[in-house]
Parts: sequence; structure tokens; C-alpha cells
Amino acid sequence: MPIITFHKGGQVYRDEVKDNTNLVVRAGIKQFPYPHLRYECGMGKCSKCACRVLAGAQHLPPPNWKEKKQLGERLDAGYRLACQLWVQHDIELAQDETAAA
Amino acid sequence: MSALMNRDEFRTALEDAIKGKSANKSPFSLAWAGGTLSRAHLARWAENHYHYVGPFADYLGYLYARMPDRYTEAKDFLLANMYEEEIGGDRHTDLLIRFAEACGTTRERVIDPDNMSPTTRGLQSWCYAVAMREDPIVAVAGLVVGLESQVPSIYRKQTPTLREKYGFSDEEVEFFDLHIVSDEIHGERGYQIVLEHANTVELQQRCLKICEIGAQMRLLYTTALYHDYVVTEEAAQPVLEAA
Repeated sequence: MPIITFHKGGQVYRDEVKDNTNLVVRAGIKQFPYPHLRYECGMGKCSKCACRVLAGAQHLPPPNWKEKKQLGERLDAGYRLACQLWVQHDIELAQDETAAA
Repeated sequence: MSALMNRDEFRTALEDAIKGKSANKSPFSLAWAGGTLSRAHLARWAENHYHYVGPFADYLGYLYARMPDRYTEAKDFLLANMYEEEIGGDRHTDLLIRFAEACGTTRERVIDPDNMSPTTRGLQSWCYAVAMREDPIVAVAGLVVGLESQVPSIYRKQTPTLREKYGFSDEEVEFFDLHIVSDEIHGERGYQIVLEHANTVELQQRCLKICEIGAQMRLLYTTALYHDYVVTEEAAQPVLEAA
């Protein structure tokens, strides 16, 4: 099962999740990475769940049309939308303390 | 006489109650997954589906008003669910209409209640009746666990087909994509509410029964779509050809 390492506000949180897990769904049902992961719409529109992938990016599918539209150049800096990702391998993510406008 | 189940036993029983009647088994769903429907069939689906899911926030609104105020988490969940359906991002029904238009129908046809089948009207009426009359926890079991929680598994099968076999674009199928995430959350939180508050044998049994009926209603609705729009058309074909 994938291990999620989540950085935010100078803290590191780590836990195991089921295979093929969406972290926004997890947070929505109040399980890790709740309450640390910020998210809102769950539909790739608001970008509040954007995270920088520090490790494990090679296991993710290429960004989809919503990520391309919402993140633009931030994709090059390693950002992805957590609501659009179904995690199947270990991954290390960092979320900025405030969401980008 | 049934005994009071613990959370794990009750969860399994709820899942089993739904599983036997999953709408994935309806002929319309199977034809959809097999790529054998036409865009016109999908347009008829959208015209019907709008009248089932369009009032979902209304169903939950009635339920919200009747949910005891001591169940704060359950009330907050219902409110959040309504907000997400309507104004959290794009209005979900607008995304359904976008898909409908890609299938060749119009917004006017979709929102016109005269274009839903009698069976769809039956499903919509059942949802209103459950929201207005059932014990609030039993109603959550029926509407959220029985109906909404089925959606991700249905759309996980149907959405790739829409892209690969029917040739729809990403934007056109956004309605389906978003529900794979949103209804996974809604369904799971519905489970949590029911598992926590259905704390008597009688309530547990009523929740199980309504989940079964909810799943049955959705199966009935999708099966009727097949008979009303696919079989009817096939039956009419030899007559049309002979004419």
C-alpha cells in the first residue's frame, strides 16, 4: 500500500493509504491527510489542493486537461492537483501554506 | 429476530444490500459500457437523468430540516453536499446539460419535465417521499448510501467508454469525472452517519431495507430507459423498413 509523506507548515505527516487512493476523497471523509490537506471543490476548478511533488512523480499519469488549465506554468515546478490524482505508489508532497491566487 | 450488528458487520450488510441490485447490471448500463448506444440514446438518458439528480439538493434540503440538531455532523454534511451540488464549483446540472448538448439535445429539452419517462418520475417521487417522510437516518441510508454511493463505481466503468468508444472530449464528460471524486466523499460520509446513528436493531433493519429499495429503484430506472428508448426503437425498425 502506498505511503504518503506530506509536508506543510514546516511539519511532516506520514501515513499509509489504500492502493488507488485519492487524497481529497480521503480528506473529505476525514482521514489522513485530513486536516492538513487544503482542498475545496474536488473537481479541478479551484486549485486549492495544489501540491508540489517532491518524490514519486514518475509513477503519476501525465497532467490531465484540468491540471493543465489550472496550473499552467506551475506544472513545470512540479505542482499537481491532488483531487485529480489516484495514488498507487509511495509519494512525497508539499503544500504551500497559502493557496496561490 | 435479528441482533444489533457492530459497525463492520453493519457496513458489510449495507454493501451487500446494494450489491445485489446494482444499476451496473441494467441492460442500459451494459449497452453503455459495451459502446453500443447511439448519441441519441445518451441524449434521452441525460434528459431523464436531469430530473432524478437535478433536485438532489432539494431532497437533501427537506432532510436537513428534519435532521435533529444534536446530529451536528450529519447536518453539516447535508449542507456541504447541497452546496457542492449547486454552487461549490460548477453547478452539477450545468455539466450534465453540457454533456446532453454534446449528445445532440438542447438545454430546453433537458429541463422540460415532459421529456422524462414515467419511471424516472417514479424515482424522483420516491426520492422526495424518502426525504420528506422517512426517519432522517433511514433517509440518509436510502438517498446517500443506497443511491449516491453507487455513482463512482458506475461512472468509473462508463466514463472511459465515453471517451474511447463514443469519442466525447474531456470537457464534455466532466459531469462523470467529477462525480467519481465528489460522490466517493458523499457516499463514504453517508456510510459514517448511518453506521454511527443507526444504533438499534430496528433502525439498522430499516436502513438495510431502504438501501435495497434505493438500489432497486435505480436499477428499475436504468432498465426502463433501455426499454423506453433502445428496445422500442429496435422493435420499430422492421416496421419502418417495411413501410
